[in-house]
Amino acid sequence: MRFPSANGIERPIRLSAATRRFALDSLGRKYGLLTRSNPGIDLTAEELADLSDLEKYDLAVKKIALEAPVRVCPGELISGAATLGAAIEHKVPAFCDGKMLFWSISHLTVDFETVVKKGVGFIEEQAKAALLKYQGTEREAFCQSALNCLEAFRIYHKRYLEALKERSEYRCNYENLLHVPFSRAENFYEGVQSIWFTFSFLRLCGNWPGIGRLDVLLGDLLENDLRNGKLTLDEAREILSHLFIKGCEWICGGDYGSGDAQHYQNIVLSGTDENGRDVTNDVTYLVLDIVEETGISDFPVTVRLNKNTDEKLLKRVAEVMRLGGGILAVYNEEIVLRSLVDYGYPGSEAAKFANDGCWEVQVPGKTNFSYHPFDSLAILQKETLKSYCGSVDFASFEEFYSAYVKDLKAFLETLLQNKLTFKPSTPCTVVSLFEEGCLKKGLSYLEGGPVYNVYSPHIGGLADTVNFLYAVKKLVFDDALVSFRELIGILAANWEGHETLLAYAKNKYAYYGNDHDEVDELCARLLNDFADGCDALNGRSGYIFPGGVSTFGRQLQWSKHRLACAHGRKAGEVLAANASPTPGSDQAGATAIIRSYCKCDLKRVPTGAALDIRLLPSLVKGEEGIAALVALMRGFVILGGFFMQPDIVDAAVLREAQRDPDNYQNLSVRVSGWNARFVTLNKEWQDMIISQNESGR
Amino acid sequence: MKADAKAKLVVSEIQRFCMHDGPGVRTTVFLKGCPLRCLWCHNPETQDARPELLYYAKKCLGCLECLECENGVHFFSEGIHHIDKSKCTVCSKCAANCPASALEICGKLMTVEEICEAAEKDLAFYGKEGGITLSGGEPLFQPASLELLSFCKERGLKTAVDTCGYFSEELLAPAVKSTDVFLWDIKDTDDARHLKYTGASNKRILENLRKADALGAKIKLRFILVNGVNSEERHYEECAKIYRSLRGALKPEVIPYHAFGGVKKEFLLESANGRSEWIPEEGQIAKFKQYLGI
Repeated sequence: MRFPSANGIERPIRLSAATRRFALDSLGRKYGLLTRSNPGIDLTAEELADLSDLEKYDLAVKKIALEAPVRVCPGELISGAATLGAAIEHKVPAFCDGKMLFWSISHLTVDFETVVKKGVGFIEEQAKAALLKYQGTEREAFCQSALNCLEAFRIYHKRYLEALKERSEYRCNYENLLHVPFSRAENFYEGVQSIWFTFSFLRLCGNWPGIGRLDVLLGDLLENDLRNGKLTLDEAREILSHLFIKGCEWICGGDYGSGDAQHYQNIVLSGTDENGRDVTNDVTYLVLDIVEETGISDFPVTVRLNKNTDEKLLKRVAEVMRLGGGILAVYNEEIVLRSLVDYGYPGSEAAKFANDGCWEVQVPGKTNFSYHPFDSLAILQKETLKSYCGSVDFASFEEFYSAYVKDLKAFLETLLQNKLTFKPSTPCTVVSLFEEGCLKKGLSYLEGGPVYNVYSPHIGGLADTVNFLYAVKKLVFDDALVSFRELIGILAANWEGHETLLAYAKNKYAYYGNDHDEVDELCARLLNDFADGCDALNGRSGYIFPGGVSTFGRQLQWSKHRLACAHGRKAGEVLAANASPTPGSDQAGATAIIRSYCKCDLKRVPTGAALDIRLLPSLVKGEEGIAALVALMRGFVILGGFFMQPDIVDAAVLREAQRDPDNYQNLSVRVSGWNARFVTLNKEWQDMIISQNESGR
Repeated sequence: MKADAKAKLVVSEIQRFCMHDGPGVRTTVFLKGCPLRCLWCHNPETQDARPELLYYAKKCLGCLECLECENGVHFFSEGIHHIDKSKCTVCSKCAANCPASALEICGKLMTVEEICEAAEKDLAFYGKEGGITLSGGEPLFQPASLELLSFCKERGLKTAVDTCGYFSEELLAPAVKSTDVFLWDIKDTDDARHLKYTGASNKRILENLRKADALGAKIKLRFILVNGVNSEERHYEECAKIYRSLRGALKPEVIPYHAFGGVKKEFLLESANGRSEWIPEEGQIAKFKQYLGI
């Protein structure tokens, strides 16, 4: 039995042999392949005739609940399964004449707090009340749909009870499901089952929700059980591990471009509550134990840090982090909280923040979220510099910079034009049940039902744009090595015949990521101008419009269309990821990168700015290695960072995995803001990751 | 007496986020100048105290920008870049012009204050333990290093000194006063070999070590292990004796020889002198550690 790490460090063993076997089966695609083999249920044209979209959706959900295969895995401690393959592809798994009917919903963390603490029965009451309230209005249909979907959930639930009944090995599963998720969870075991069962139904219907603050959801229940001697920590770990293992039921392997691991099911740990109290509890540490032992990357974990975070927790995070895989990331919650409050969220709401399943900050269970990453470098090249074929010229750097910012702001305006009103692309009742506001307003998730409706523009290629602008400032205006027109001509010719100047531009200036004030201040300035652009448009639409910084690997597609850059890059080179430096331009190490990044006023981008940090395995060896990671996290918090994802990968291990994928099926690596199983990336992605890990320090 | 913030030192490099140069996260300042000439030196560019020209042949584009040199240091024949270092006045013009950074001046004059400020950039990462480490070369070879150490202490930085132990005795007391921890290299306990391989006797080194310990210094010994040179049990035993005799000894380290320093010789326009047969085997390292009880 083998759970590989990205750098050869051995993982500890705490779970039972049976649970480890179950984990290996699940990671080894046993359930994913089964799921994939059955894409969805079929509806006939006759059944669908004369139905509204919402009615079609309800019928589909009901049939899914009635007909989806019930799967009970050997030895499973919790039950429920999302057994239809189309759900893996972000679709409602229902077809008519082989055609899919509806897309599904992702990038949200639903309200598991109500599920665990009040039970789905409470939501049923709300739905009934909503139907009464909106009877005879155009919102009645949604309220009826809510009741229909809840009824389907009951059907699905009943089928599992039947399947588990009178099977002694599943007695606990059965008894727990007699109470949850419809009633509130009375103990830890019920709590885990309640979350998993609700999660599995959401997923069965095609949705990809995040989990949110698992230690907040389950901490009190566990504490109570431990106090009353009903459960030991080892038993609790075993139970909780099954949530992680069951969460691997969609792993199918194969070649999926950006990987098959991620369905945005992020877990957030630690941090403070609305009273400023530390929420860290035994569940926090159990999650770290499980991730450390199994390396399961399907639930990326983000830990909320602040200046008072316990040293013990930091060390534990460091120990798990250094196994690699990019499974653990951190927020500096002080900046996140200030950012949300500055943006207008009440403090008590901000305190609950989790994310959309990846890392973009949102208030869980209350937020309709979407984002749009765009290539800021493309705006510079296409709009401001007319893709290098025009006769653009600028007399000063300020003139050049202002022209760019004007183009950037114009772009934001066009972006918002598409989002002035709520235009639901699909019925989405199932997720709407678990989003506060929907039943109250009688509106679905996509109709603006949730308390907060967010559309977040994400500036991508930030470091590249900053470096480009800075190189022009130095080459043309400060050092006068070349005129603006000449430089544009040279770039249009992809530096051909100007290798000396190319080398000069590449080597002689310190770019973003080297803790060099002049260029870092330009980055901070650009980020502020971007945030100003977003703020100016906020309030024009039903969506709030907070900015963020990300690329999520899109730099791979973007770079193909990019022309040569002033900072010494030829056309088409893969450039910076998220808020990280342009690859190869950072020469001063991880602390310098963090310092550069933190010079930006990161609270101006409330949905977040992700910093990827790559570290060589040699740096994190032994006790010094733990100290190094702890120091990076501490510094990141002190300096005012937002989100950081350190990754420790040995490029040699990755090359071995490329040669011998069978032995590295479970090896997880960070891609760009998320992680994926390495062998499920296509060759282009694999090579990109290997080269990044070779150039990293 | 306050430290002289304006005193100057020749710095070859400042490296941030070092995890193996003292407790916690360190910013390591490499100072030029060393009284020893160890054949296995891994930082040969820091031996000479004066700034000097380095050349990275692999980076050279052959663009001829360096031909602007007025002293005729650079010339090209049949596409090959030749450098006559004897003519170099270290004016740094060629290095500034070189677009590929193939030419570089190793050795920058910096004030005590500037160096300290460079180290302070990473204050947020130091925690309780981390700080500045002076290395080199022999940090105490440049007397102004004492000013730097006491200036750093005044500013509240933790200090470490990575020393070969060979320096004049009067530096000892002030150095101990301003240094939180010494990383003290022991090359060889056999004095004849020490003279042969480092160019100097080990007497002063061991004497300084004893005195530093008496003055209350915290010392982490670092034993250099070179296969075929000092890889013998008598030496291990002597090292263990030294370790046990110190009052303020922290857990020592064995530093196995590696050949990277040899490659750097080429950057100095000398021939590479790395010797793979000097690299010790795992068993030898383990044996040495056994003697030391670590």
